[in-house]
Amino acid sequence: MADEPMMPLDESIAGEQVAEVNLPATANPNSPYAWPKERRILSTRVNRIDGPVKVSGRAKYSYDMKRPGMLYGRILRSPHPHARITALDLGPALKMPGVKAAVPIAKVGGKLMYVGDEVAAVAAVTEDQARDAARAIKVEYEILPFLANVEQALQPEAPPVFEGGNVKASQTEEEGSITAGFAAAAHIVEQTYNTQVQTHVSLETHGCMCEWEGEKLTAWVSTQAVHGTREGFATSLGIPQANVRVITEHMGGGFGSKFGPDVQGIACARLAKEAKAPVQLMLDRREEHLAAGNRPSAYAKIKAGVSADGMLTAFEAESWGTGGAGASSGFPLPYIYTFPNRRRVHKDVYINAGQQRAMRAPGHPQGCFITEMLMDELADRVKMDPIEFRIRNLPPQAPNAMWREYFKIGASKFGWDKRHATGDPTPGPIKRGMGCAANRWGGGGRGTQAQCEILPDGGVVVRCGTQDLGVGTRTLIAVIAAETLGLQVKDIKVELGDSNYPFSGGSGGSTTAPAVSPAIRVTVSKVLQELATRVAPAIGVAAADITASGGRVHSKTTPGKGLSWADACKRLQTTPVSVNAGWEPGLSASGSSGVQFAEVSVDIETGIAKVDRILCVQDCGLIVNQLTAESQCIGGMVMGVGYALYEDRILDRNTAMQVNPNMEWYLVPGMSDIPKIDIMLMNQPERGVIGIGEPPTISTAAAIANAVANAIGVRVRSIPLTPQKVLTALEGERAGGTQ
Amino acid sequence: MKPFAYVKAANEQQALAALGRERGKVLPLAGGMDLVSLLKDRIATPDRLVNVKGLDGTITATPDGGLRIGSAVRLVDLQAHPTVTAQYQALMEAAAEVGTPQIRNLGTVGGNLMQRPRCWYYRNEEFPCLKKGGARCYSVDGENQFHAIFGGGPCHIVHPSSLAVPLVAFGAKVRIVGPRGEREVLAEEFFELPERNLYGETALRPDELLTHVIVPPARAMKSATYEVRFRSSHDWPIAFASVALQLQGSTVTDARVVLGAVAPIPWRSPEAEAALKGQPLNEATATKAAEAALAGATPMTQNAYKVQVAKTAVKRALLHAAGVSA
Amino acid sequence: MAHPVPESRLVSPDVHCAHLRHKGMYVLTTPDPGEQKHAGTWDATAYWCTQTQKAMGPDGSAANAACCVAGNGRGCCH
Ligand SMILES: Cc1cc2nc3c(=O)[nH]c(=O)nc-3n(C[C@@H](O)[C@@H](O)[C@H](O)COP(=O)(O)OP(=O)(O)OC[C@H]3O[C@@H](n4cnc5c(N)ncnc54)[C@H](O)[C@@H]3O)c2cc1C
Ligand code: SF4
Repeated sequence: MADEPMMPLDESIAGEQVAEVNLPATANPNSPYAWPKERRILSTRVNRIDGPVKVSGRAKYSYDMKRPGMLYGRILRSPHPHARITALDLGPALKMPGVKAAVPIAKVGGKLMYVGDEVAAVAAVTEDQARDAARAIKVEYEILPFLANVEQALQPEAPPVFEGGNVKASQTEEEGSITAGFAAAAHIVEQTYNTQVQTHVSLETHGCMCEWEGEKLTAWVSTQAVHGTREGFATSLGIPQANVRVITEHMGGGFGSKFGPDVQGIACARLAKEAKAPVQLMLDRREEHLAAGNRPSAYAKIKAGVSADGMLTAFEAESWGTGGAGASSGFPLPYIYTFPNRRRVHKDVYINAGQQRAMRAPGHPQGCFITEMLMDELADRVKMDPIEFRIRNLPPQAPNAMWREYFKIGASKFGWDKRHATGDPTPGPIKRGMGCAANRWGGGGRGTQAQCEILPDGGVVVRCGTQDLGVGTRTLIAVIAAETLGLQVKDIKVELGDSNYPFSGGSGGSTTAPAVSPAIRVTVSKVLQELATRVAPAIGVAAADITASGGRVHSKTTPGKGLSWADACKRLQTTPVSVNAGWEPGLSASGSSGVQFAEVSVDIETGIAKVDRILCVQDCGLIVNQLTAESQCIGGMVMGVGYALYEDRILDRNTAMQVNPNMEWYLVPGMSDIPKIDIMLMNQPERGVIGIGEPPTISTAAAIANAVANAIGVRVRSIPLTPQKVLTALEGERAGGTQ
Repeated sequence: MKPFAYVKAANEQQALAALGRERGKVLPLAGGMDLVSLLKDRIATPDRLVNVKGLDGTITATPDGGLRIGSAVRLVDLQAHPTVTAQYQALMEAAAEVGTPQIRNLGTVGGNLMQRPRCWYYRNEEFPCLKKGGARCYSVDGENQFHAIFGGGPCHIVHPSSLAVPLVAFGAKVRIVGPRGEREVLAEEFFELPERNLYGETALRPDELLTHVIVPPARAMKSATYEVRFRSSHDWPIAFASVALQLQGSTVTDARVVLGAVAPIPWRSPEAEAALKGQPLNEATATKAAEAALAGATPMTQNAYKVQVAKTAVKRALLHAAGVSA
Repeated sequence: MAHPVPESRLVSPDVHCAHLRHKGMYVLTTPDPGEQKHAGTWDATAYWCTQTQKAMGPDGSAANAACCVAGNGRGCCH
């Protein structure tokens, strides 16, 4: 699926290679732990070490946990978008069959801000009993005025639902002179763009199992942060952190929405305490959509200017969006391209809906879609190829800003030269088109601690309090340890996902690989030094002269002198070598760039768009595992297809209740909706490790939307690109419409 | 879900004996592909379920050359049946489009015809809508992008069954048994508009069972179903059409045109049928027939686009049935 | 070990309530110097209060870096 990167620097580009601001940290080649120049396992395709247990169903997710005597928890949620609780009686629930505990979450007098806001929780012997008991809780509500969508909230006569106003305007952000910029423009585009609210749709829902042993709490949580969740439980429950242990053996995705115990985690712990039994409380799909986070919507009314020779001159935007009840909705705008003169003001609009949470590259897909749509419209005005137009207006090239080169490499791989001008001239209902878009991301991490033991029987155990969200962190650790010790991946036992292991940060912001990889490299290098010290006398050289490769521990200078790994470890007799160490600078960096291309077919008689193929050209510094890095790209792009075409949290405009809190009408791409995907991973080993979790999802929707416009000759400035929107746009065009 | 009693009926008699007269209190359970989600979502709260997988599960030829399809026939078997694939293309194509392989492996013909609407207000317990005995239809000024463009309300569901549409196109009948004996009803009359039957979708009473579908002989009929759905993976159609044609050369001597997912019942279009009769079938006449079929559509606030989608479905079904490529 | 930048750029133990949280407090990043240059300033931070685990404090008012500061007169602030 992927191509080995080839990056001959094209002369004209190399000439412009001016470093911007200060260069992002590249790896330090003089670090004592520098990545090996000759990579045996690193950067190759290594199968996930937990693949077999996962595909055979033996892997135990938090959802699968079973404990003796366990109960099931269930939350009662607000049926109203905005209400005050005037009475709450758990009594009837406690009388229901099988019920062992009930706890309030909201208070009498307290307000509920959206449908799905938590009211109380119960625990019972079976899941059905818990559901029935939650329904039996008696609540009286005073129903309050509410806002079901952004349009309602922006009405001057809207009821004041949120303290301090339903709308919060940001500072105006300004650079250069807007007036001068527009004066220099030969063409001006004025349009409004928008993106929908997308929910995370993690396959494993949020939730946990809580079990108390006296004052000690063990929680099996579906979380992106075992240490963070330990802190969260302790702080919320007012107990010592030392009394809390959080375990996440396997995890079914979080995408930014799982950084703490959450309301349900705390309720679960309280229920378990009250019932004196382990309680499992996992959310269902409806709860996920309503109350477990989402990507805010985005709207932007933009006026932008371009000079006759295709240089951007001015950008003026009013943007807004909703992150639900009282949460922000910011996003970067303009995205990546250089508008020398710009002004922007943003408004957060609050509505009575579940609050946003960080979601895979927060803000970026919104900013990318809006800016990249605009870029194609501007390119059309100056009748320039979109890639040529983009290259003119990109910031200078740098290791973290490689778009010019990637656009060129990608264009030739994708067959961009076969792209027709806007509007497929081919007769018949099926129109094809191509589009492209760029992305950028940080992806630098730090702070991870790890422990490595070499055991007298030759075993190697690496422990790290990070977690594997399903992305291959476990395998990444084994790859680095094996590379460093001259062993095979299968020789390394990796233990993670437990707050009893050395500290590591939460897995977000694409920081896991750049935080964990250096920590493992440093720790394992140190443990090898320790082993060298212990076995040096037996080998008969100085410890400093000892290295390990090919399953042997041997002299660097006289490689013939040495012991097999097993024999070396036998020398440890009864005392293993054990080292705790952590992340150090010089092995990782921050700042990645990528571009994507999409080709689509649109049936103009039904309005149905289908993505035929996507290509991503993406870097992430030193590639640790080619296979799992590609997996991240695939997953990101599939999510981008959903964002472009299908996904939309639809709230009923009259009741603010979601009409599609399921996977029947909240559509995500299924197998047959996934296009052919090509990946060109650009290896930058000299930069060290950079995360790749987020960037590949950023520009997929923008590339697809541009491809649709290229196909049908009409621009649909709103995602998802449903048949309804596509047909309405085509209809508008026929009627002499919008362009 | 609400606790319920469960009866496994070995045959028609036992099944009938276990039913009751009150709507919703006792429900037949076939493949469960629809009913189980209705139970879980508490849209259906029966006291008793009667397993009717013991009803006739065979497809047999009728003396006049038609087909008698038992209600317990699974969709996967219907779709692969040699007579169905050879002579009733529209039915085969409709069955093949239903849900996913898992759903077709368990879902039955009877359950398919008797499945309940997918209106998202109906399916969410929180909306006490007209069909559930409430005071209003939430779709009217709400999120009606997938609702009806025909039928006149007061409930604006689209009928969910993929099989019902080709069956109406074929002029098929359903066999119904009940305490008052058995009867056969034209599929076209079996499905009822909300103005006549708000709480159900068919003429079947709570104490009756649908046991068979009887399809008339195909003769030289050319038929096809064309479905438009957004996702290629399982997704409900935005609109679809089944057509059954008798042709002399390329001239249409008789046509039945039925639209799906546009009305609370399979929506037969006499206008399109009239437009076709005596005409050669080609892109121009198919387009005209499609225009005629949709001329009377009364879209709601969000679903005018469905008119275009339905037109395309009719046109393509006609061309596809006649083997004319567009 | 090296922790080159402050734990959170948005929430400070000297200024903000001890219950205020956002994702960035659990994720240890190194800054990308290109970020500011390309994106301007924008805020997509989702805050929550550890007393409620929601974006609203126990008093029903919003929990964020602007409101949950010392001297705001909110009884829930620590
Ligand atoms: C994801 C998904 C996608 C789907 N897509 C489609 C689609 O594209 N097209 C489509 O047509 N359907 C679709 N379905 C609906 C699917 O449930 C039906 O097609 C299936 O055939 C139902 O059959 P069943 O035997 O499982 O019915 P059940 O669920 O057992 O019963 C359905 C209803 O019929 C009643 N019933 C069953 N048998 C009889 C009988 N003999 N007499 C009287 N009443 C009876 C039951 O009481 C119940 O109310 C989809 C379902 C899902 C979950
Ligand atoms: S269309 Fe029918 S089922 Fe849907 S909300 Fe209206 S009355 Fe209820």
